[in-house]
Amino acid sequence: MSIKQWLGAGVLAAAAIVQVAQAATSEVLVSTDWLEQNLEQPDLRIIEVSVNPGQYERGHIPGAVNVSWHTDLVDPVRRDIASAEDFQKLLREAGVSSDSTVILYGDNNNWFAAWGAWVFDVYGVENVKLLDGGRAKWEKEGRPLTTRQVAHAPGNISLGERNEALRARFVDVVAVAEGKQQAQLIDIRSPDEFNGRIFAPEGVQELAIRAGHIPGAVNVPWGSAVAADGTFKSADELRKVYAAVGVDGSQPIITYCRIGERSSHTWFALSKILGYDVRNYDGSWTEYGNAVGVPVVNVAGTVWGGK
Amino acid sequence: MSEPVTTDRPSAGVLLLALALAVGVMAWAWVIFEPTPAGRALSFSLLTGAVFGVLLQRSRFCFFCVTRDYLERRDPNGLLGLLAALAVGTLGYHAVLGSFVPDPFGGRLPPDAHIGPVSLVLALGAGLFGLGMAISGSCISAHLYRLGEGAFASVFALIGVLLGFVLGFLSWNPLYLRFVADAPSIWLPGHLGYAGSLIGQLAVLALLAWLLLRFARPQAASAETLSVGQRIWRRRWPTYIGGVLIGALAVVCYLRVGPLGVTAELGSLSRTGANALGWLPDRLHGLDGFSGCATVIKQALLSNNGAFISALLLGAWASALIAGDWQPALPNAGQALRGLLGGVLMGWGAMLALGCTVGTLLSGIMAGALSGWVFALFCLFGLLAGLGLRRVLHW
Repeated sequence: MSIKQWLGAGVLAAAAIVQVAQAATSEVLVSTDWLEQNLEQPDLRIIEVSVNPGQYERGHIPGAVNVSWHTDLVDPVRRDIASAEDFQKLLREAGVSSDSTVILYGDNNNWFAAWGAWVFDVYGVENVKLLDGGRAKWEKEGRPLTTRQVAHAPGNISLGERNEALRARFVDVVAVAEGKQQAQLIDIRSPDEFNGRIFAPEGVQELAIRAGHIPGAVNVPWGSAVAADGTFKSADELRKVYAAVGVDGSQPIITYCRIGERSSHTWFALSKILGYDVRNYDGSWTEYGNAVGVPVVNVAGTVWGGK
Repeated sequence: MSEPVTTDRPSAGVLLLALALAVGVMAWAWVIFEPTPAGRALSFSLLTGAVFGVLLQRSRFCFFCVTRDYLERRDPNGLLGLLAALAVGTLGYHAVLGSFVPDPFGGRLPPDAHIGPVSLVLALGAGLFGLGMAISGSCISAHLYRLGEGAFASVFALIGVLLGFVLGFLSWNPLYLRFVADAPSIWLPGHLGYAGSLIGQLAVLALLAWLLLRFARPQAASAETLSVGQRIWRRRWPTYIGGVLIGALAVVCYLRVGPLGVTAELGSLSRTGANALGWLPDRLHGLDGFSGCATVIKQALLSNNGAFISALLLGAWASALIAGDWQPALPNAGQALRGLLGGVLMGWGAMLALGCTVGTLLSGIMAGALSGWVFALFCLFGLLAGLGLRRVLHW
């Protein structure tokens, strides 16, 4: 082909990619405006995943069902996400069918709603979107809340096997840390945790015996992915934020935090909005930082039991 | 012929001060408001705290005093007021709970309702609390409203409560491991359903009311002819009015923010202070998982409960000013010591029982928690022991 033809093909290809990226953004996020207009849509299933107890009961988006992140989305006995059976039962009771559109939202900038979205993705549920800005934005804009609960007719969704390609396990992360596998690690915790100055933020119960981060990880606190009102930044802005630390999607990515839930928020941004190949390490620092014999980078030198 | 009492009104200065307090509380609520759940809850807590203070002061709603009135003079009105509060609150709470937790048999407890573990520790805490109430002369919420009336002896009681909480924290770990860790948090609707719990509780309250009236003595009626204004603002309300309104307030608070309670802030202040001084063990087992008047290491200066009891004080003060109940009095040494000692016992008991007469008894029973009933029973035992002690020691 001549140079002109190459250029033409290149422009078309670029346009197509931008189209796809933009379409992808709106395929995975809905605005508060859109949701309020479409509350009555019959195949819509809204699910709230909030951290603070009592939030949902004292006022939720009309038609929303509550899912408790610490009992419904996990196995409460062994550390793992909920089994296919239990999750399927939960979804069916919430009225989710194979043709439903699931909208997830929650408090705290959709932290746990994003984690819910990850669990949904692991089980291959399609048509799952996040409410951009979450509860906070909905309330700030004065949109209606209700305390009444709606019971949907049971759904018919069937879950398949877990898609382990979305999950990074301990062995994968150790392999990356030891240089045996190639991946970019993103640590989304605060800089103080990343540098080993503190083991965990004040008041949290889940600690680790060692402080610091996984060798090779870059620190991009999860808040860098959102704007002031809690909505995700645009695809272009996100690309810039992560490119600044050398993450451009050319290598597989693994996100982690302290307990593996907030990292899903960044996972969502990278995977759904930017379309990068990214896995969530749900064991996160509470698993890695407590493991024996794994390489750790501890810049501040804080030692368990005091300096 | 009896003439209406025309001089029975507060002076202009007093009225102005009361008005300033009322406006002040409203202005404070307006200033701290923010259009977020936390901001709304804080503002709301401030306003409801002020209302609660007024209700307590106007109806002289003190758990100890109403019980003593019955024991010494067979005057049932106070206790009937308490039962009225419980009845109204139970009705409202069950209605709200039916929305929050549509299926009570699902094994889940309603979020943040004061449903506590039923164990020997609860009984011990309630007993200590009752004893402390009798020795100090009031329950904690009454000390707060009495402070608004100028009874500065209550300061000693409240200081005692802060110290008592420290004792509670120090004794908590072994007690928790031995008795509380495996204790069940029994929620009546979870076993009987909402209908069963409601009918059951109302039946027990009705039975108690009947018993109270059965053994009551007729009381001397007031010979005054009063205007409506005087009845509302200048005389003590019949306790049942305060009770009914308190029941309603409790429901509204639970619907919007959380159950009524007055010890969360005091306990948290105590915990923060004691922790800073290094008096506390590093971890208080299981504590942060329980629903009750939870104590935490304070993060922000003003919490919902802090706002609530601050406004309670101001509301009670304003109400006392208008009613002519503002009678500042400094305690003598004996009163101060008794207040302190009683306060320590109440603080210790409230920590172990995860709340006091408001947080565990009132808010617990209204929510259908067995812990509320158990607290009430053992608190009564402690109270009786305390009264006996006072008689013996001529206190």
